Amino acid sequence: GMAANMRLPTIRKQVSLSSSLSALDGKDLVVPGDVITSDTGFMRGHGTYMDEEKLTASVAGEVERVNKLICVRPLKTRFNGEVGDVVVGRITEVQQKRWKVDTNSRLDSVLLLSSVNLPGGELRRRSAEDELTMRDYLQEGDLISAEVQSVFSDGALSLHTRSLKYGKLGQGVLVQLSPSLIKRQKTHFHNLPCGASIILGNNGFVWLYPTPGHQDEEAGGYYTSLEPVSLSDREVISRLRNCLLALGAHKVLLYDTSVLYCYESSLPHQIKDILKPEVMEEIVMMTRQKLVELEG
Amino acid sequence: MRDTPLSNCERDFLLKAIQEKKRLDGRQTYDYRSIKISFGTDYGCCFVDLGKTRIMAQVSCELITPKENRPNEGLIFFNIELSPMASPAFEMGRQSELLVKLNRQLERCLRNSKCIDTESLCVVSGEKVWQIRVDVHLLNHDGNLMDAASIAAIAALCHFRRPDVGIQGEEVTVYSTEERDPIPLSIYHMPICVSFSFFQQGTYLLVDPCEREERVMDGLLMIAMNKHREICSIQSSGGIMLLKDQVLRCSKIASVKVSEITELINKALENDKKARKTGGKFGFAESLPQERITALKTDVSPVEMSDVKEKANEIVQRAEVPPQTVPSPVLTAPGTGQVGEGLENSWGLKEEEEEEEEEEEEEEDETVELKMDETDSPGPRSVCAVFHGHSWQDGTE
Repeated sequence: GMAANMRLPTIRKQVSLSSSLSALDGKDLVVPGDVITSDTGFMRGHGTYMDEEKLTASVAGEVERVNKLICVRPLKTRFNGEVGDVVVGRITEVQQKRWKVDTNSRLDSVLLLSSVNLPGGELRRRSAEDELTMRDYLQEGDLISAEVQSVFSDGALSLHTRSLKYGKLGQGVLVQLSPSLIKRQKTHFHNLPCGASIILGNNGFVWLYPTPGHQDEEAGGYYTSLEPVSLSDREVISRLRNCLLALGAHKVLLYDTSVLYCYESSLPHQIKDILKPEVMEEIVMMTRQKLVELEG
Repeated sequence: MRDTPLSNCERDFLLKAIQEKKRLDGRQTYDYRSIKISFGTDYGCCFVDLGKTRIMAQVSCELITPKENRPNEGLIFFNIELSPMASPAFEMGRQSELLVKLNRQLERCLRNSKCIDTESLCVVSGEKVWQIRVDVHLLNHDGNLMDAASIAAIAALCHFRRPDVGIQGEEVTVYSTEERDPIPLSIYHMPICVSFSFFQQGTYLLVDPCEREERVMDGLLMIAMNKHREICSIQSSGGIMLLKDQVLRCSKIASVKVSEITELINKALENDKKARKTGGKFGFAESLPQERITALKTDVSPVEMSDVKEKANEIVQRAEVPPQTVPSPVLTAPGTGQVGEGLENSWGLKEEEEEEEEEEEEEEDETVELKMDETDSPGPRSVCAVFHGHSWQDGTE
């Protein structure tokens, strides 16, 4: 038996915007129903609508103005993918010649059979046999990392895993956060110095996994190692996961540096204590301080 | 929009837990979640909460011409709606398989069982009869929609009052509620649906599955019964093979559950009747929790713990004496007051002290109740309880 903590509900303190980075200065935040402007000279973009000659916001977010176009970019939204984004998704359906992938967008994304690397890595035409054995490669419930190849006219994404760094994901931990918290960077695959690796999917799905040793890469991303993961690796990954939840709760932009700083700030605490609200606040405050020092 | 798919880990965890006779919310295999029935100010409006599943049923009536082959009988019309607020998977206007199944089952349960006397709904034979319409709206989907819908429907029907009708020769007068008291429907018996979910090809059985359990179940057996132990309808879906004695066992469990639920419905109806008669307040506004300190209060729920006493004693013996705190304010100077003493602010140690204080309070009780300790030092309130047995997944294990 183990001891468990229980606590009575208390009023949560407001996360004050003023303590956050200067990124929010000068930004125009609106909520649905707020009038943006009464000037009729503007064109209305996404997230706005006309209400009796007044341009009104329909989503909660910040107002963006490009010359004569006004649009509102929502703070919390489903993932709107663009070509080149790295996503982590879960297979929901196996259909004829394609898989349907859940990527936290409005529509399920599509992974065509012709867009995957077959095991063996050779480039050959997909035969009828390949169609029948699709389930051997990816089943319902499997997690994959992929890149957005194109966007269909209805907004659904077409993914591809035609590189050895993409493919089926093996042992690890998935953390589901909001897509707006992921910073766009040159690369989304990082091997963190603390002893684990991370994939920051643009769609808000973050994958933590033990850093792979030098394995053969021939299998092309479908070989999932079932070797037991050591306890130290698992502890690092658990701590990272709790740190990600702490950063997500305080709406901190996620990229490799912020995750790493958060990890370092959390070291004095026990892994399970990181989930407590007061410890979360402390860790995120220290992370923010370090990030400000880095900038300035 | 499609519902978030269940991950393999969650599915495996649920199935493994069921194999070990454990449920996510700590219930036993045959336990129902807490059922709450409340009525509105209008007759025939009923809200049912089955755990977090929330359903509203509304009964209304209208005078229409009867069917040609049944000129003496009134009509009853059922309609279930899956509102999009219940679950992201439901879309307005989309006729899903689940919706059709629920509608069919509710009709079989209430219409085919002839629980309502349709002949009493006849006003003028061949010309005017009452059509009773039961609209059931799903407000929140947390599993076991059929049971909740059947409870809501039958409770609403029992609660409903139709306008009184007077016939003088050829003239038919429908009296409004102000002129004459409306009269209740004539209901013979109350059929209630009980759902049994099966896992691992019929090896494991759970009563009243919640939404997560429904996602991993293999098959579902729904038995509609009344308190006189008469089976009104029985349906098995999911294609699992059930043995004869399994079905018999389920029907025995169902009869026990149905009598409990029928009693609950009758009690709720009684309370509502009493409130209306004595002129007290009734309706939904009264049944909603107020914005008070006790709004978050939940009932005492039993928690499984076996060697609480032993462990608490061990920890208490090792504990230090709690610091003496001043319960009442001390006036240090005119205009200033002080409550409590300044404790040293060491992260982590502070909570241990409070844990040990709380455990001293609890060593007398077998069951744990959350109490507010007045002599406690100000700070985050935390209560420590010691659990027996289960392997908890935490990062360090």
